[in-house]
Amino acid sequence: MASADKPINTDVPEKDVFTLHFLQSLSNLRRQNTFNSPEKTNDRVKKIKKAAYVSMARAAGGTNRLWSRALLRRAAKENSKVVRFPRRKKRVTCLRRRRSNRRDPVEEEEAERLRNLVPGGGGMETSKLMEETAHYIKCLSMQVKVMQCLVDGLAPK
Amino acid sequence: MDLSGRFGARSGDGVPFREAAALESLHIGGGEEFRQMVPPENAGGFAALLELPPTQAVELLHSSSSSASQATTLHSLGTLSFPSNPLLMERASRFSVIATDNQQNGNVSGETTTTSSVPSNEHIKTEPAETETCDQAAVEKQSNRCGKRKELDKKVKSSTKKKNKSSEENEKLPYVHVRARRGQATDSHSLAERARREKINARMKLLQELVPGCDKIQGTALVLDEIINHVQSLQRQVEMLSMRLASVNPRIDFNLDTILASENGSLMDGSFNGATMQLAWPLQVMETEQSYHHRQLQQPPSQQWPFDGLNQPVWGREENQDHGNDHNNLMVGSTSLHPNQVKMEL
Repeated sequence: MASADKPINTDVPEKDVFTLHFLQSLSNLRRQNTFNSPEKTNDRVKKIKKAAYVSMARAAGGTNRLWSRALLRRAAKENSKVVRFPRRKKRVTCLRRRRSNRRDPVEEEEAERLRNLVPGGGGMETSKLMEETAHYIKCLSMQVKVMQCLVDGLAPK
Repeated sequence: MDLSGRFGARSGDGVPFREAAALESLHIGGGEEFRQMVPPENAGGFAALLELPPTQAVELLHSSSSSASQATTLHSLGTLSFPSNPLLMERASRFSVIATDNQQNGNVSGETTTTSSVPSNEHIKTEPAETETCDQAAVEKQSNRCGKRKELDKKVKSSTKKKNKSSEENEKLPYVHVRARRGQATDSHSLAERARREKINARMKLLQELVPGCDKIQGTALVLDEIINHVQSLQRQVEMLSMRLASVNPRIDFNLDTILASENGSLMDGSFNGATMQLAWPLQVMETEQSYHHRQLQQPPSQQWPFDGLNQPVWGREENQDHGNDHNNLMVGSTSLHPNQVKMEL
């Protein structure tokens, strides 16, 4: 029997942290002058969505999680900002090398799909991927709750 | 000739000293006659040269019957490329001189001296007792060694030994601890595979608990399908909500300086004057008094919260004052009583 690794940590911060970050990003968005124009709804939607994700990533453990790092990096690239992360020991290349041994046809295709869904999933091993997915799911559901409350609060019908 | 049987196979960097010492003690212990099939101790030098794990040597020796006949050449002494035939040990002893030239082990010379000291013994008979001790000593010595010795486990036939060894190694090894179960292959590959599979299964269980309705499903593929669907649905929900947010609140102002300044976990319920609207917040936004003081109170909030595209909810400070007169103001509670309040202003 394989010895258990230390318990898998998928703690997710409380809702207020999420709210904080989300509102922060929304307010930043608000300050942009062109934000309110009714025509550019799509842009707005996209921006809000992006803000949601980024704030979620930041709130949910910043750079400690792989998916949040990937998200932040992606977002920063679009804004052509430079993101600095604390150095990580493992490099993706090592993972790639080991990945070749770990083929299991049934779950590999599922893993592929997961990788496409979860940000930053491309460089991860399957077990790590699942851990990230668990945390991601938790954070996503938290984010959905927050947004739902916001929307309900601002447009109660 | 004689001591050839003594030199059991030994893999590389063992602890030749002990073996040599043991060998000598055995030897001194008195002229036992070993048949070549019996590997005595794991003699350091030649054993190292043979590069076989001791247990394997045991097997080989036990299995092989006619020892004396087959002896392969020893030209490869220096390169340690002996064929894994312990029977060549007979020759090995003859070539002990060559062994001394080998710089592999310092103990080789010691052994050769002992070898030479017993020139007379022609027959090496089996001594089961000796063998036993040798064997156990060998086993112990193996387990004392650090490093990846999983391949040693492979060779051992008995499953109990397998378990013992792997359990011993699990205690010493700093990394992956895998216990080989009885009757299972102890390939290093399959061990690693098994470890990884168990890791994945553990995580899958975790995911199953997260995703509602996944615990009923059997089989990993379907569970993964469910998980993927769940993630997709969550992402779609976020997108939907963000669309709604964008359309519903074209103007949202948050002044978060205060929020950030007084950032803590406690959020309080906001009460709105005259407003029927109640926030369905399980959590609430928190603001401090400061912003409250800065505000200029506007119209009394008897109005409802008619929300159309024109109405622009404004949260925050007086910066929002300029946003038009048709805003409804909803002021939250009294200042002194509720240091943290939700302030919403239309």
